[in-house]
Amino acid sequence: MIVQDMGVPEFQTVAKSPAFRQRPVSAVKRRTGVLVNVAMVGIVLAIAVAVRVVYINQLGYNTDEAVYAGQGAAIAQVPILKDLFPVFRAHPLLFQFLVALSYKFGTNDLLPRLLSVFFGVATVYLVYDIGRRLYGHGAGVIAGLFLALMPYHVVVTRQVLLDGPMVFCTTLTLLLLVRFAETERPIWLVSAGVGMGLSFLAKETSILMVGAIFAFLAISPKIRVRILDIVLSLIMMAIIMAPFPLSVSLAGGGSDSKTGQYLVWQLFRRPNHTLDFYPTVVPPAIGIAVIIAAVIGLLLLRKENGWKEKLLVLWVITPVIFFELWPTKGFQYLLPAAPAVAILAGRFLATWRIPFLKSRALKILQEVVVTIILIFVAVSLFNDSWRLVTPTQSDQFLAGSGGLPGGRETGMWIRDHVPLGSTFMAIGPSMANIVKFYGYRQAYGLSVSPNPLRRNPSYEAITNPDFKIRSGDLQYLIWDSFSASRTSFFSNQMLAYVKRYSGRAIYTSTVTVTAPNGDRVEKPVIIVYEVHP
Amino acid sequence: MISRVGRKPVWAIVFLVGVTLIFLSVDSSASPVSPVLADGNAPAAKTLIKHFIFLMQENHSFDNYFGTYPGANGIPANVCMPVDPFKTDSKDCVKPFHAGDNDVLPDDPDHSTQTFLSQFNKGKMDGFVYALNQRNQDGRLAMSYYDDRDLPYYWNLAEQYVLFDNFFSSAGDSSGINHFYWVAATHDEPPAGQTLQEYLANTPTIFDRLSEAGISWKFYVQNYDPALTYRTQDQYPGNRQSQVIWVPLLLMDRFIDDPALNSHIVDLDQYYDDLSKGTLPSVAFMVPSGPSEHPPSSLLSGQRFVRVLLQSLMQSDYWADSAFMLSYDDWGGWYDHVPPPQVDAHGLGPRVPAILISPYAKRGVIDNTQLDFTSALKFIQENWGVKSLSTRDAAANNFLEAFNFTAPPRPAELVPFDRATGVKPAEPKRFVIYIAYGGALLVSVLVIIVAIILTKRGMRSTLKDGEGLQS
Repeated sequence: MIVQDMGVPEFQTVAKSPAFRQRPVSAVKRRTGVLVNVAMVGIVLAIAVAVRVVYINQLGYNTDEAVYAGQGAAIAQVPILKDLFPVFRAHPLLFQFLVALSYKFGTNDLLPRLLSVFFGVATVYLVYDIGRRLYGHGAGVIAGLFLALMPYHVVVTRQVLLDGPMVFCTTLTLLLLVRFAETERPIWLVSAGVGMGLSFLAKETSILMVGAIFAFLAISPKIRVRILDIVLSLIMMAIIMAPFPLSVSLAGGGSDSKTGQYLVWQLFRRPNHTLDFYPTVVPPAIGIAVIIAAVIGLLLLRKENGWKEKLLVLWVITPVIFFELWPTKGFQYLLPAAPAVAILAGRFLATWRIPFLKSRALKILQEVVVTIILIFVAVSLFNDSWRLVTPTQSDQFLAGSGGLPGGRETGMWIRDHVPLGSTFMAIGPSMANIVKFYGYRQAYGLSVSPNPLRRNPSYEAITNPDFKIRSGDLQYLIWDSFSASRTSFFSNQMLAYVKRYSGRAIYTSTVTVTAPNGDRVEKPVIIVYEVHP
Repeated sequence: MISRVGRKPVWAIVFLVGVTLIFLSVDSSASPVSPVLADGNAPAAKTLIKHFIFLMQENHSFDNYFGTYPGANGIPANVCMPVDPFKTDSKDCVKPFHAGDNDVLPDDPDHSTQTFLSQFNKGKMDGFVYALNQRNQDGRLAMSYYDDRDLPYYWNLAEQYVLFDNFFSSAGDSSGINHFYWVAATHDEPPAGQTLQEYLANTPTIFDRLSEAGISWKFYVQNYDPALTYRTQDQYPGNRQSQVIWVPLLLMDRFIDDPALNSHIVDLDQYYDDLSKGTLPSVAFMVPSGPSEHPPSSLLSGQRFVRVLLQSLMQSDYWADSAFMLSYDDWGGWYDHVPPPQVDAHGLGPRVPAILISPYAKRGVIDNTQLDFTSALKFIQENWGVKSLSTRDAAANNFLEAFNFTAPPRPAELVPFDRATGVKPAEPKRFVIYIAYGGALLVSVLVIIVAIILTKRGMRSTLKDGEGLQS
């Protein structure tokens, strides 16, 4: 009984089932079945790759991408960039370290994005594998398909962000935990500790998933776990996490103080979004239909709910509750929950059937209906993803949601036309990062507070822009509509400096937008001004 | 007659072939001596420099600014300036010292003709302290010098471009006459029997030559007041009158009264407009107002002023074919150890700092060609093919050696204002990151592989157990 409750590995179920004993499957049929399964998984992975690479480099980096790619360049010691971006900022460096390795094949903005795609597609496979282990091949394929097409995951894993690799690592941890629950072999718990350590190295916020693991073990008494195994697992986690503090303290170069400041600032910074941010933004990105399927499945299959569902639900609610309460909110922060939602949705569509249907025709009809629902959900996810990945010109921008229109072009123009050693002032640090990465020029954000308690320690404030311009330290100002839409105050300040110092627009990047009368018009989104004292 | 008529076509063919060959031999894109077309009918520049800008700052000797610059002909070791060179039995002397040390207050050392002659002391260059003492100044002041602590930007410029360490002021005198040499290659003293205006009316300047040749030029004046000329200067407070000294054209009736000529004298703001609108002339002279570095004014404000001028040039499209010369109108009464060659009754005067900035300027070179202000006139004359003005500029050396026209132009690169300390900021040790993170990945993969292997072994034993049960 215990074995059944725990979800016995597939081979054991099959080996001991009466059907297996009485009517062995022929080798041909089995091989055909395996090929069909492999083909389905292959198709899902191909879809995952396709939606992640199409138009992938149509737009240049946004500010976060520029920062992480810049850190990679600093590790790889790419000339000029290594002086503009620090090696150490706030986060651990697993992904940046891999980006640095990718620069051995050339410094461009495509390879790091493809690296992120690799992690995204690998996560899709992990989701398939977890779904297969928990609920069978069909559920695994459906869960993988949902994640492959899910706008939330697609958008993030097309960008040079830490969240894609982090979610790969947390999903790997989930898989290793499932393996432990299946087998009760301590080595899998130790492996889960390793997975958690890797998750931390990808992005330190993933450490909160440790809470989900402990909660899971605490509320699943039928899973036998020894204290010693937990300790061993924690030790392994600590060993794998060690490169972060070790490299910060041993690498030198002032890295330790900066990182410490950043952590303190993160703990006490003011909220950057209201409480309705996640409820508004994330469900549409995951797919309302997927969430509904997951929830309905939990309700309708509640009699069958066991440790698997506890684990998946904890994997969802832990980051959701934490980041809803945490003052700093980001579009992509809830991504670790997405794989579990996809698996729960896959479970529902693959396993729930109306129990009292007796007629074969009705059963076939039910399968047809389920297939139609599945296709509907997949198509709706694909539509949303396609809309997001198709290059659209916009003068608005949500951090973490994609590339920045005109940013790369502006940066490249700066690199080609502006003297080396020039210094820029942007409205905020976001555009400054893009100028640094693509333009190879130093840039500061006007909105960065001179008060160290009110600014990200990674950024340097300009305490007196007037003096800087008058003494020739600042030669260019750069206005952008994306930052201006977030802070009209600093946008106006910037334009006041432009006016005061006879700013001359030397480059303008535009996007085509729809005017109120329906006409398509060119709207300036980034303007570079040359100023003189 | 017949034979002569019959030979005419042959000569004509030879002439045409020769002209054609000469024309074809000219590669306008690469050769350093190829003509570069100017606007309209103006003569083309003979080098790749199509725009020459000369900024004249104020009152510093070479040793005062670059006396401790590595590799330059600077302050000799163990020099100690006698307090009174005429007292042979006295050993009182003043060693060069960094400005601000020795409790010597900043001041404007006297730099009149008399002071120069005392300091020069017939070529002994030993009267620097004595001459100032004679003027009731602290003579030690002359022996103070500045270095990269005070002149970070200029020292950075010198490291990137060409520093001249044998560049003399044109006269052993103060600003007025040296500025006049700067534009006319001669002094501003009328001969006996002539009024100053009569003399100046017949004294050509480089701008007369350029106007005659149709070559564009401008004289940029910071805070320019068009009403302030030699005729009105008495109505202005003392320092403001220096506009007439620093812009010698304002001493000359033709440059005041002829609107065509007068329109070339413009405010410095026009420089920035010209750079942005594409109207920078071929030749531009410029003078400051406040940030001239005239002692005891701020050296930092002077450097910032020069920095903005240079940065603006570098930011413009003109950088690729321009040369910018920075120099100082006289030695300002400061110590300089090199006796100036005496080419005539007026000069040369003591060495002054001079730096050439151009995309074709050699990098970090100290040029010791003997030059003076008339060398700039020589460069203009040779570059645009206009006549010399006097025996001075005719005999002056050009500074073409400071250029390298065979290399492609250097891209614009703003020179930092702060001096590199020589101590590089601590760099993180990258190998720690590679080892730590690479190691973590490796260990992780190994642990998971071990888990898989152990589980597979367990599976096999389970299957075997199952088979055993069935059998």
